[in-house]
Amino acid sequence: MMPMAQDDGLEQMYQEVILEASKHPSGRVAFAPDLTDEAVSAGESTVMAPHEACAAGESHQFNPTCGDEATIHVDVSDAVPHRIERVVWDGHGCSISQASLSIMVDLVEGRTVDEAMDLFRTFHALMESRGAGLAEDAKADELGDAIVFQGVSKYPMRIKCALLGWEGLKDSMARALAQA
Amino acid sequence: MADFEAIRRQFPILDQQVHGRPLVYLDSAATAQKPQAVIDAESGFYESINAGVHRGAHELAARSTVAFEDARAAMARFVGASAEEGHEELVVTAGATAGLNLLATAFGYASMGRGPAAARRFALGPGDEIVVSQAEHHSVLLPFQELAARTGATLTWLALDDEGRIRTDTADEVITDRTKVVAMTHVGNVTGAITDLAPVVRRAHEVGAVFVLDACQSVPHLPVDFHALDVDFAAFSAHKMYGPTGAGFLYGRRELLEALPPAWFGGSMVELAWMDKPAQYMDPPARFEAGTQPVAQVVAAGVAAQWLQSIGMDAVAGHEQALTSELLRLGDIPGVRILGPMSATARIGTVAFEVEGVHPHDVGQYIDAQGIAIRVGHHCAQPVHRHFGVYASNRASLGVYNTMDDVHALLDAVAGVRPFFGVGGTRAE
Repeated sequence: MMPMAQDDGLEQMYQEVILEASKHPSGRVAFAPDLTDEAVSAGESTVMAPHEACAAGESHQFNPTCGDEATIHVDVSDAVPHRIERVVWDGHGCSISQASLSIMVDLVEGRTVDEAMDLFRTFHALMESRGAGLAEDAKADELGDAIVFQGVSKYPMRIKCALLGWEGLKDSMARALAQA
Repeated sequence: MADFEAIRRQFPILDQQVHGRPLVYLDSAATAQKPQAVIDAESGFYESINAGVHRGAHELAARSTVAFEDARAAMARFVGASAEEGHEELVVTAGATAGLNLLATAFGYASMGRGPAAARRFALGPGDEIVVSQAEHHSVLLPFQELAARTGATLTWLALDDEGRIRTDTADEVITDRTKVVAMTHVGNVTGAITDLAPVVRRAHEVGAVFVLDACQSVPHLPVDFHALDVDFAAFSAHKMYGPTGAGFLYGRRELLEALPPAWFGGSMVELAWMDKPAQYMDPPARFEAGTQPVAQVVAAGVAAQWLQSIGMDAVAGHEQALTSELLRLGDIPGVRILGPMSATARIGTVAFEVEGVHPHDVGQYIDAQGIAIRVGHHCAQPVHRHFGVYASNRASLGVYNTMDDVHALLDAVAGVRPFFGVGGTRAE
C-alpha cells in the first residue's frame, strides 16, 4: 500500500539509526525473568521491591505507564579510576528505549565511571531540551549516535523511554561501587 | 432513528485538528468526550446554583440540593436502580475506583465487627473466599486482593478462554460454599467482551455470596438494568458515560446498603455525634457520602444520563456494534492480532490489538501522528495481558460520536505501522 504522509516530528523521532539499533541492540543478553510468563509471575506474587531481586552492579528499571523494563548489569574495575569493563542488559520495550540502551552500551563500555556520569548528565540535558538540542557543539559531539534522540526530546511522554537505560546505568554503577 | 451525525456535532472538542489532521478520537474507554449539554450543565451549575447541599436554609442551598438529588434520581432511572426518596440505591462517589474501594473498605470494617448487626453478612475471615476474574481492571483486583490480605480470606478467580472471555462455565466449581464475595467486570476494559453474568450471579446467590459488578465499560454502551441483572453492588464512573470526571456512583441493593457499615467518616454522614459515645450514622446514601460531594459533576452526570436516555441505549448499542464489526477488520491486517473476541457478538467496540514486531508505544506514536487517539500500555489490567503473553497492547475504543470514517482512518493508519518501522518487509520511504 501507499505509505501515508508523515509529519516531520515522526521522522525526526524514528531515525534510521534508532530503528536499526532497536532491531539489533548491543549488549542485550537474556538473564532476567520473563514477567509475561504466568508461571514465572505466579512465583513472584509476594510484594518485593524490584531491586531486592538484583545482584550487585545491577539495576532494574521499570516504566509503569507502558510496562517497559530493563535490568542493567555493569562490571566495574576494582582499580582506580573505576572503569566499566562490561555492560549488558535484559528487558523489553519500545524502539526508543531499546535503541537508547543499545547506543548507551556502545558509548560507555570501556569508559571510566566518571566519564560515564558526564555522558549521563549530557544525555539528560539533551532529553530535557524539548527538541532544541545542546548549546555546546562539543557536548553534542561527545554523545556520538545518542544525539539522534534530540527528536524524542520534543515528546514529553517518550523522554522516560530514552532515559530508562541511562537511569539504570547510573544506578548499577553506584551499586557496583558500593560493593567495591 | 437517532441521527448520529447530529449527535457527533454536539461534541465541540471533536471539531479540531491534531498534527494537521482532523482529530479521530478512539479512546472513549479511557474517558469519553462531553456533549455541549453536559458542559453547559456543569458550568451552568456554577453560574447560578452553586451552594452546599443538604445544609443551610438559603435559596441557593435549596436549589443545589434539589439539583443534586434530581441528578441521583435521573441516574438511578438510567441504570435500573431505585430513585425513590428514602429508598435510594445510588451512592455518590468520586468514580468507580472510589466506589470499589469504599465497598472493599466497608467489607473490611464489617469483618472487624463494625456496623449494624446485619453487617455480619459481609464479614470475611480465614477460610472464606473472594472470587474475581483474570479480566479485571486493577481497580477491582487490587481492592479485593487487599481485602483478602487484611481479613485472611483467599482470593480465587475465574480464568479466561482463548478469546479473553471469562470462563463463566466454571462458576459452579470456582465459587464455593466458602465464597463470600464475587467481584467481576460486566465488560472487559481490554477485551471488550461482555460477561455472561447470569450463571455467575446465580451461583453467587446460591452460596450466599454478594455479587459486585464493575459496570464502568457497560453503562456507556449497553442498556443496563441493575435490578434485572440481579447484582448486589455495582460501580461506574460518570466520565466514561459522557459526564464529568470526579464523579461516579456505587449501586447497592437497598437492604444491603442499610446493612453496610460506613467506610469514610466526617460531615454530612452522621446524625448524632458525642465526645464519649459512639456516633449514630445516617441512613444510606448519606452514610457513605462524608464530606463535600462533587455536586456540579453529579448534576452534570445526571444530564449525561438523560442525554443518553434520550438517544436510547438500544440505538447507541446498535450504532456502535455496526462500527465494531468494521473495526474488527483490524485482524485482517498482516501482523495484527486482536486480543479479545474476533466477532462483534457479545462484545463492545473496545478492541485491543498487537502489531507483531512493533511495540505499542511506537504504534501509538505513529497512530497519533495521523491525528488518531488510541490508548497504548497495559490499560490497568496487567493479568489480562499476561494471559495473552504480552506486556502491553494498543486499544481502540468507540463512543457514540464515532463514524465509519473514523474506523477507516484507523484501519489505514494501522496498515502503515509495520511498513514505517520496517517490520515484515523493508521500511517505507
